[in-house]
Amino acid sequence: MQLTQITRLTLPRWNSARTSPRLIFAAGLVALFVAVPLVYIFIRALAAEPEAWQRLLQTRLWKLLGNTLALALAVTGGALATGVSLAWLAERTDLPGRGIFRGILALPLAIPAYIGGIVHLTLLRPSGGFIPQALEAIFGQPVPLPSPIGFWGAAFILTLFTYPYVYLLSGAAFRRLHASLEEAARTLGRTPWQTLWQVTLPALRPGLMAGALLVALDVLAEYGTVALLRYETFSSAIFIQLSGRYDRAAASILSGVLVSLAIFILWAELRLQGRARFTQVESNWRPAPLASLGKWRLPAFTLVLLVISASLLVPMAVLVIWSVRSFLDPQALAAVFRTGTVGFGSFVWNSLWTSSLAAAAAVALSLPIALLSIRHPGRISQFISRFCQVGYAIPGVVIALSLVLLVNRTMPFLYATPFVVVIAYVLRHMPQAVRSSESAFSQLSPSLEEAARNLGRTSVQTFFQVTLPLVAPGLLAGGALVFLTSLKELPATLLLRPAGFDTLAVRVWIWAVDGFYMQAAPAALFLVLAAALPLSFLLRREQIFR
Amino acid sequence: MTTGIYAALEVQHLTKRFFNAQYSAVSDVSFEIENGEMLALVGPSGCGKTTTLRLIAGLERPDSGLIRLRGQVLTSETKFVPPERRGIGMVFQDHALFPHLTVFENVAFGLRGRKPAEVRLAVSEMLHLVGMDSLASRYPHELSGGERQRVALVRALAPRPALLLLDEPFSSLDADLRREVREQVRGILKSIHATVIFVTHDQEEALYMGDRLAVYQRGCLEQIGTPEEIFHSSATRFVAEFMGNSDFLQGKVVPEGVRTAVGLLSQPVSANGFRPVEVALRADDVDFELDENGNAIISERFFRGAFNLYRLRLDSGQVLHAFKEHTVILPVGARVRAYISAGHPLVVFHEGRAVSGG
Repeated sequence: MQLTQITRLTLPRWNSARTSPRLIFAAGLVALFVAVPLVYIFIRALAAEPEAWQRLLQTRLWKLLGNTLALALAVTGGALATGVSLAWLAERTDLPGRGIFRGILALPLAIPAYIGGIVHLTLLRPSGGFIPQALEAIFGQPVPLPSPIGFWGAAFILTLFTYPYVYLLSGAAFRRLHASLEEAARTLGRTPWQTLWQVTLPALRPGLMAGALLVALDVLAEYGTVALLRYETFSSAIFIQLSGRYDRAAASILSGVLVSLAIFILWAELRLQGRARFTQVESNWRPAPLASLGKWRLPAFTLVLLVISASLLVPMAVLVIWSVRSFLDPQALAAVFRTGTVGFGSFVWNSLWTSSLAAAAAVALSLPIALLSIRHPGRISQFISRFCQVGYAIPGVVIALSLVLLVNRTMPFLYATPFVVVIAYVLRHMPQAVRSSESAFSQLSPSLEEAARNLGRTSVQTFFQVTLPLVAPGLLAGGALVFLTSLKELPATLLLRPAGFDTLAVRVWIWAVDGFYMQAAPAALFLVLAAALPLSFLLRREQIFR
Repeated sequence: MTTGIYAALEVQHLTKRFFNAQYSAVSDVSFEIENGEMLALVGPSGCGKTTTLRLIAGLERPDSGLIRLRGQVLTSETKFVPPERRGIGMVFQDHALFPHLTVFENVAFGLRGRKPAEVRLAVSEMLHLVGMDSLASRYPHELSGGERQRVALVRALAPRPALLLLDEPFSSLDADLRREVREQVRGILKSIHATVIFVTHDQEEALYMGDRLAVYQRGCLEQIGTPEEIFHSSATRFVAEFMGNSDFLQGKVVPEGVRTAVGLLSQPVSANGFRPVEVALRADDVDFELDENGNAIISERFFRGAFNLYRLRLDSGQVLHAFKEHTVILPVGARVRAYISAGHPLVVFHEGRAVSGG
C-alpha cells in the first residue's frame, strides 16, 4: 500500500521529463504549416526562367535593393535615436508631465503608418497641401517647404510610426536596469555622461537591438506608405507585379530576394547578440534615481511634444475633423455608410472577425511550440521555436503571393474566400504569439503543476485548473498583439481578399487613394480606436499605464 | 592631525534624512579609521549602515557633516566631490558587474588612461590574486556566484583606491560558500593592506572580518570598538542584545553590588540608590545544578553537538540560557538551582546604558 502510493506519486515526474511524442508531432505540424509558404517562394524564385532573372538583374533589382536598404537604414536609425531618447526622457529624467507622456508615447503604434502618411501628405503636399496653401495665403507668395514625397518623406513618416517599438523595448530595459550598475561606473571614475555611453546604453543593447529589428523588418514589409509617397521598394514592386502586370515569375524572384534580405537581418541580429546575453535576474533591485534635466527641461519637453504632435495629436485631430465634416455633408455621409452593396457595418465586422480569428488561431498554434521549447529545451525544440519566428521576416506581399500560388494549386476550394486572408494573418503574426506564449510558460514554475498532481489532479485537470489560469494573461497578450497587427495589415488583405470583401484597412486605403479623404476618415478613426484597445491592454500589462 | 599624519578616513557629524522619511537614515555619525584597518558597520536592516557607505562613496549627499579622506575634504557644507573623483572603490551587494563586458573588461574598466600593456598586466595581476586567470574572457552571466563576487572585488581594487567599501558583499552567496569566500577575501585584503569599510547585518561576519566594529541602530552609531570590546563591554543594552544573544536579568543596586533572582552579583556599579538595572548574561555566564529546592526549572534542551544549551525558567518568570557539556543530559521539567558562574565582571545596564562591567 505504502509502496504503490510512492511509485504513483513519482510517476508524473518521469512522464514530464520525457518529451511526449504527441507534443513533438503537434509542434512539428505547426512548423510545417509555417515552412511550406516560405519554402515555396524560394522554389518558385529559383525555378523561374533564366530570362526573368536576367531581365530583373539588368533592370530593376539593384535599384530596388538600394532603395529598400537605404529606407530600412534611415528609418531604423531614426527610430532608434527617437525611441531611445524618448524612453530615456520618460523613464529616467524629471521631464515635466512624465507620467502622462510615458503611455502616450507608445500610442502611435495604433495608427497604421499609411493612415499617418495620408494625413501628413494632405497637410504638406507641395501643390494643394493644407499648410503650403495657408502659408501662401499669409505671406502672399509660395513658401518652400520640405516635400513629403519620396525617400525623405517615407523615412520621416515611417520613423514617426515605428519608433514606439524601440521606445517600448528600450523603456522596459531602462526600467529593469540596476541602479548599482551606474553607481559602480561612477565609483570607477566615470562622469554621468560617460556612464550613459559606456555602461547604460551598452547594457541596454539587447532591448535596443530587438526594437531595431522590429523596425527594420517592418520597413521591409511596408507597402501602403511607400506606395502613397511614391518611393519604390521591394514590397511595392512585388505588389505592382502581382496586382497590375500579373507577372508571377518576376514577383517570385523579387520575393525570394526580399525574404533572403529579411532572414539575413534576423540572422545578423542573432549573431550580434552573441554570448553577451544580459538577463541577470538578481535580488535587491533598486530603481535608479531620476536624472535632473535642469535648464534642458523646457527643450526636452518641447521635443517630446513635437514628436507626439506629429505622430499622434495631428493625425488624430485631422481624422476627427474630417469625420465631423463628412458627417455634416449628406452626400459624404451616405457614401460612408453605403458603398455599392456593402455598408460600414460590414467593413467593421470583416475587420474584427478576421483579426480575432487570426489571433485565436495564432495563440492556439503557438501552444505546442511554447510548451515544447520551455518544458523540453533541446536542439529540436529550439529549432522549431526559432523557425516559427521566421514569419516576422516574411512581408505581407510575399505571404500573399505564396498563398495565391499554393491555394490555387493545392486547395482551390479555399481560393477567393476570406479564410485565405486569415491564414495570411496567422502566418505573418505567429511569431508574436509564440514569443508571448513562451514567456508566459517560462514564468510558470513546473513545481506548481507537480503540486497539483500531488494533490490528486490528473494531467488534464491540472492543465485546466492550474496551468491555463496562470498563463492565460500571457496568452491573451499574445492574442492582443496578433489582433492589433492583423487589423492594420494592408497589402496581404488587398491581394488575397475575395472581390467585394472589404475590411476597414482596405476601405480606408481605397478611398484615400481615390482622394476621398473625408469619406475615409470615419473608417480610419474607427480602425485606430479599435487598435488602441488591445494596445492599451498591452501597455497596462507592461505597467506603462498605471 | 597636527603632525601631518591623517586618519585614512574621517567622518564627522554625518546626517542624512531622506525625503518624506520619518526618521533620519543616518544621524550625527562620527568615526575615524586608520590606514590598513578593516571596519565593520553592523546592525539590523534599515539601520543606516548602507546609507553611511553610500554617503562616503558620494552616491548620496548628506544633509550635514564632513567626510575627509587622507586629509582631503570630500563632502562638507560647501564642497561635494562627485563619486568618480573620490578614489574610493566599492563592491556592491548585487556585484553590479557590467553584463556587456567580459571579466577582463570589467576589471580593466577602472584603469583608464593607461597604456594597454600596463592595463593587461594590472588586470592579470588582479585576476591572479583571486585565482581567476583562466576565466578572463567569460561574461558575467557565465560565472558562478562566488566567481562574480571575486570579480567585483578585484574590479574595485584594480585602480588601487585609497579606501574600499563593501556593501553586504557576501549576502548573495550560500552559507557554505559565504564562509569560504569570506576567509579568502579577508586574506586578500589583509595581504595588500587595504583600508576597508564593509557593511553586514550578520554579527558573526562582523566579528570575523572587522578589526573594529561600529554597531548601528536607527541611524545612530551605538558603539565602535574592537570585537572584544563590543562583545564583552557592550555600551548599550541594544549592542549586548544584537551582538551576543544575551539574556537580561533584572536586578537592584545595593551597596554590595547587584541583587538578582539568582543571587548577588558583587561588583561595583556606578549607579547610586536602589535603582532597577539589568544584567546581561550569556549562556556561558550561567550554570545550574539539580536541586529540589532550586529557583528554576528546565523548560527546554537544545542539542548543539559540542554542548547542550538549556533554557531555564526562573520562578520569577524570567528566562535564562546555560551551557552544559554534550554528555550532560538532564530531563525537561527538572527543578534546578541556577547561579552566575562568570569569572569576569558582567555588564550592567540602567535604562539601556552600561553602568558597570566590561
